[in-house]
Amino acid sequence: MTATSRDDALVVTHQQSADEPDDWIALLSAPGPGHEEALRRLHELLLRAARHRVTRMRYRLGDLDSARVEELIHQSADEAMVSLLGKLASFEGRSSFTTWAYKFAIVQAGVEVNRHIWRRRDIPLEGVPEPPTPAASPESIIEAADLSAAVTAAIRDVLTAHQRRVVTALVIDEVPVDVLAERLGTSRNSLYKTLHDARVRLRSELTAAGYSVQNQRGGGSQ
Amino acid sequence: MSRRRELTPEALRQLTLDAEPWLSCDDCFRLLDEHVERLLAGAGSVSPAMGAHLAGCAACREEAESLLLLVAADRQLDPAESLRQLSGGR
Repeated sequence: MTATSRDDALVVTHQQSADEPDDWIALLSAPGPGHEEALRRLHELLLRAARHRVTRMRYRLGDLDSARVEELIHQSADEAMVSLLGKLASFEGRSSFTTWAYKFAIVQAGVEVNRHIWRRRDIPLEGVPEPPTPAASPESIIEAADLSAAVTAAIRDVLTAHQRRVVTALVIDEVPVDVLAERLGTSRNSLYKTLHDARVRLRSELTAAGYSVQNQRGGGSQ
Repeated sequence: MSRRRELTPEALRQLTLDAEPWLSCDDCFRLLDEHVERLLAGAGSVSPAMGAHLAGCAACREEAESLLLLVAADRQLDPAESLRQLSGGR
């Protein structure tokens, strides 16, 4: 079964599984024939997505026993179900309903796993990173150490105290953004904006100082 | 006593990353399902800002990767090329 959505001139064909209802939104929106069955099937989808995400993050949970892992999966699916049902009206049909539903559980499972991992860990929010000790050679290592020193100085000199704390926690200490948001009483959106603005300041400062960061692009960790 | 925080090459790269054009995490979440389906259909990114955001936000990128792999598995598609394009080749 297929469904289509139009985005400007481009048409993308969605694939739905053969037994997926066409009228998810109607079935889920109000009590009536098929409502309970639709809720049950939606929960199955969310469990599947939560299990997928937790399995991908399983190595980070160390020796956590399988019963507790299963609990995290079910907790994630339950939370995602509540969140999704509150946003049913925002489904625009620009993807299949299944893909749209999956993302709620994928996000929630990541939040639950990181929350579990960091539940007893402190997040130090002071201090400035240090560049690695400069090597004597070769030249490329010296240049990298020079850039590191410049970035460290820029973090200290041109970022606000809040930007410095956020950048240090997210990029250097690798604290998950949702965990940091919970500890600081803010949102992922707000922290990413802080990181974004800090990057703009750092790039501007480094460029003014003669460093080449114009094409510094990549897709790794935050 | 504050502990020593060393600036690794990856941290250095992330700190100086060009993550323009701007996109918020909320908008990334809103577009995520469509982005993943377009990539798997060979139709390209939903927007340049989406690629930039996924290059600059580790949490959203992990979620996008996870969703893409799950949908690809459901549809029995090879996710390799779509994964490469997830953050606009960045």
